[in-house]
Amino acid sequence: MYDIAVIGGGVIGCAIARELSRYRLSVVIVEKYEEVGFGTTKTNSGIIHAGHHSPPDTLKGKLVVRGNKLYDRLCKDLNFGFRRIGELVVARSESEVPELERLKKQGEAKGVPGLEIWDREHLRNAEPNLSNTLVAALHAPSAGVINPYELANALSENAVDNGVDLKVNCAVEKIAVEKGFLAVHTSTETIKARFVINCAGVYADKIAEMAGLRDFTIHPRKGEEYMLDKRLKGLVQRLIFPIPEKNTKGILIIPTFDGTIMVGPTAQDTADREDASTTYEGSEHVFGFVSKICPSITERDTITEFAGLRAVSNTNDFIIGPTRIKGFINAAGIQSPGLTSAPAIALFVRDILKSEGLVLKKKENFKPHLPGPPRFASLNDEQQRRLVEKDRMFAKVVCRCELVTEAEIHSAVDHGARTLDGIKFRSRAGMGRCQGGFCAPRCMDILSKRLDKPFQEITKRGGDSWVVRKMMDD
Amino acid sequence: MIEIKKYICIGCPVGCPLQLEHEKNRIKEVSGNECNRGAKYARQEFTDPRRSISTTVLISGALRQRLPVKASGAIHKDRILEAAQKIHQIKVVAPVEIGQILIKDFLGEKGIDVVACRSMKRVTGTRTACRTKKPGNSKSGRPKKR
Amino acid sequence: MLGRVEKKYGVVVVGGGPAGMGAALGARDFGEDKVLILDREPEAGGILLQCIHSGFGMHYFREELTGPEYAERFLQKVIDHDVDVLPGSYVSGVVIDSGGSKKVRIMSESHGLITVETKAVVLAMGCRERTRGAVRIPGTRPSGILTAGLAQKFVNLKGYLPGKRIAILGSGDIGLIMARRLTLEGCRVEGVFELMPYSNGLTRNVVQCLEDFDIPLHLSTTVACIHGRDRIEKITVAPVNADLKPDMSRAWDVPCDTLLISVGLIPENELTQNLGIGLDVVTGGPLVSSTLETSMPGMFACGNVLHVHDLVDYVTREALLAGRFAGEWSKGVRRPKDNIRLVPGDNVRYCVPHTLSPEREHTIHLRCKTAMKPCKIRVGSLMEKKLRFVFPAEMIMFKIKPDLLDKFHGDTLRIDILPLEKGEKVD
Repeated sequence: MYDIAVIGGGVIGCAIARELSRYRLSVVIVEKYEEVGFGTTKTNSGIIHAGHHSPPDTLKGKLVVRGNKLYDRLCKDLNFGFRRIGELVVARSESEVPELERLKKQGEAKGVPGLEIWDREHLRNAEPNLSNTLVAALHAPSAGVINPYELANALSENAVDNGVDLKVNCAVEKIAVEKGFLAVHTSTETIKARFVINCAGVYADKIAEMAGLRDFTIHPRKGEEYMLDKRLKGLVQRLIFPIPEKNTKGILIIPTFDGTIMVGPTAQDTADREDASTTYEGSEHVFGFVSKICPSITERDTITEFAGLRAVSNTNDFIIGPTRIKGFINAAGIQSPGLTSAPAIALFVRDILKSEGLVLKKKENFKPHLPGPPRFASLNDEQQRRLVEKDRMFAKVVCRCELVTEAEIHSAVDHGARTLDGIKFRSRAGMGRCQGGFCAPRCMDILSKRLDKPFQEITKRGGDSWVVRKMMDD
Repeated sequence: MIEIKKYICIGCPVGCPLQLEHEKNRIKEVSGNECNRGAKYARQEFTDPRRSISTTVLISGALRQRLPVKASGAIHKDRILEAAQKIHQIKVVAPVEIGQILIKDFLGEKGIDVVACRSMKRVTGTRTACRTKKPGNSKSGRPKKR
Repeated sequence: MLGRVEKKYGVVVVGGGPAGMGAALGARDFGEDKVLILDREPEAGGILLQCIHSGFGMHYFREELTGPEYAERFLQKVIDHDVDVLPGSYVSGVVIDSGGSKKVRIMSESHGLITVETKAVVLAMGCRERTRGAVRIPGTRPSGILTAGLAQKFVNLKGYLPGKRIAILGSGDIGLIMARRLTLEGCRVEGVFELMPYSNGLTRNVVQCLEDFDIPLHLSTTVACIHGRDRIEKITVAPVNADLKPDMSRAWDVPCDTLLISVGLIPENELTQNLGIGLDVVTGGPLVSSTLETSMPGMFACGNVLHVHDLVDYVTREALLAGRFAGEWSKGVRRPKDNIRLVPGDNVRYCVPHTLSPEREHTIHLRCKTAMKPCKIRVGSLMEKKLRFVFPAEMIMFKIKPDLLDKFHGDTLRIDILPLEKGEKVD
């Protein structure tokens, strides 16, 4: 019997599990995919919002500012890539300027630091590659970027280091309300827990339904993103937002943590909870929009594209709290700014558990720290030489687009990579312009040896995502 | 009765559409060709169309698992799939030398042999620098630290 | 010697494929005896090692060889000529000091991080394939979508199939060859889909790789959507309109478990770019003089890193030349600077080299924009050459004699491909 079962190993589930791993509790994460963060998390835009966008009277509006502030500490502990590069909301005409003023006021009321309106000239000096038709911008210096999958991996790994169990390839099929506990029936086993936290993303309403709760619904909203060639690195320094529309913050220009520029996301409601497809309409919308703000970005620079689903609830706000089923707690409807809010959501859920009667006793031996992955390409000569002296595999290049060495691939496996995507998200091997054409067979060789699995059993991302078949005569 | 066979010449990128007229398998005329190569090609395709074949076979004891091989002469077009199946039955043990004959007089054709297309040395153990250590599995299915 | 590396060389060659091996031999033939080849794979030979089909060497060896045979013959020559070859090595940078000497920084599996000093460098990194991202196909991102070259590597070098039911986007030669290769291995190839109204591959490959096996080639058709969550399950294909955009009203679905992408090659110039060497935006390769020297003195380029070639034999010919000039440079020979700039004119997509010198005979390589037959190439007012045909997929090569250039007093020379005038005939 566990104290807590967290359903869903996305960034929210992992953040909650890691927070709970500070206490003397038995915790399990139940994840249906092969690795954590393989759902909505891996397709997240990776923005840590300053917090001025969401209205103050919403739960998300409250948690976002708190979450933003928690990131410095979290990053220091877990060593994932995070940089406060700042954000600009740009006004394309004088008529949009009052909206900047409104956002500034809204942000200031919520305690967003350093908000400033920049005039045309200031904007032009700071971001010379943006269209010269822009008239003003709202600068929010506390906004930042992270790699969301790195965060999910770091949180789950640190949680596991501190005693949390992680069950992967484990899909929840049924939840039975028993006397004093909940029985979570999964594809592999039955897990009993006093508390169940529902962090199931776009399936959160389905999970709640399994426990007999029908008080909210999730309506997936698809976002398509387009990753551009690294040739455009440095084109913009900050996150660039248009004036927000009704359902979305609009099409953004995102200088990712690694410097490559990403544009998107679209916002398209879809009934299909598995719909991760990109479309002609999506790319036309994204590039048509972005070219007005930054004319040198064109569709031709795309190296890859992907789509993800936001878990939008019928209340259009986060749904976090206890339910009429004792022990069943929702952390649902976590759409943007969910990633920013994640550390604050974890604390919020912890407090809910406490008020629901869970005894929280701190562990003395909690290890908050996780060393970040080695990043050979970002080191100076001397650091590189030292690494190679220690381990010759640092001199063996596996991914030439992003200069990733074999030692880094091994480190990714050591830290939980089980699939090609798992390696990619931990080491960047396969993320560059050749998109794995060169390194995929090498990464598969390493996975095959390290996991003691035949080459043809290595997958792209688990499930039925096989890469090769055996030959007829083999 | 005169019948017509159509071909596309492969002699150059022009790709002339060729027409070969024949009566009871006797060639009457080739037309459509812009140069002599076209006529020659159509006649060859009509009387004895041949193709070169190359594939790989299993090899053990070498750096790689597959050895490229070929038939040293072109074989009849209709026997290509059969030829591939026959060649795939070969299993080679390293070392092997380039040009080494693996099947003599292939498909009964004198002078056409299946030969190795490269040399492969014998290697002891696996040469790849991959570590063979498995990540340990904790009870949660996560690896322990290296 | 294989695996040997010393501190100082006359010529260091980056890449051990046909271009790199040819360049090393060219330098040795000129008399430079300190030559090093660096290759990132476990063995030199480059992409030839996975091109197990025949069709190589007709010009150079006067014999039809398979890729591995061509590679092995060259590698043997390289070893016989006492060239050092370091496989498993990656060039992370080249530092040029004020005296012009170059320090090549190498990451090597066997030697760690090392630096070798050299007088001349030949860039011979080859090219890579355009990916799904570069052609932008909407839909999901399942496994089973890979370039034809990666599939070739899986099949021919590693001995695994990319799938059993194959669709191919693009009619490049590698795609066509893989259609036959996979058929021989028992796979079912559903069809080849080509955006353009013509095939990008050789007619020979269309006939022998597709028609022989009844594999349909759909011209003016593209893949408009990819379906499947974990693994690709089917594709939606659609004929394209004149603007090359798919007409979804005529689309149909093709079930498959694999989609190969064969939509062109790009010279691999990351290193070149990092060094600040000037590139030709059309070829994607460096700008070179008539000695195949880049904008960086003492740095030469040849093979597919310079511009994508049709035949390995042409790569070899160019590489021998580049190697020779690199050898000259290392021995202190300094030729007069080129003083004539070549400019692509009507129906000329690009020409290589980019400049000429009246000092000696030159071979010009060029590609046309659109097919034309018959036609003529006109070089300024210096010469005209009539041709039966030109095709974008076929590189055009011709020579310019030094005495012609001697008569030329301008500094730019324009090359046009023009239709024949009335009364003109191809001999």
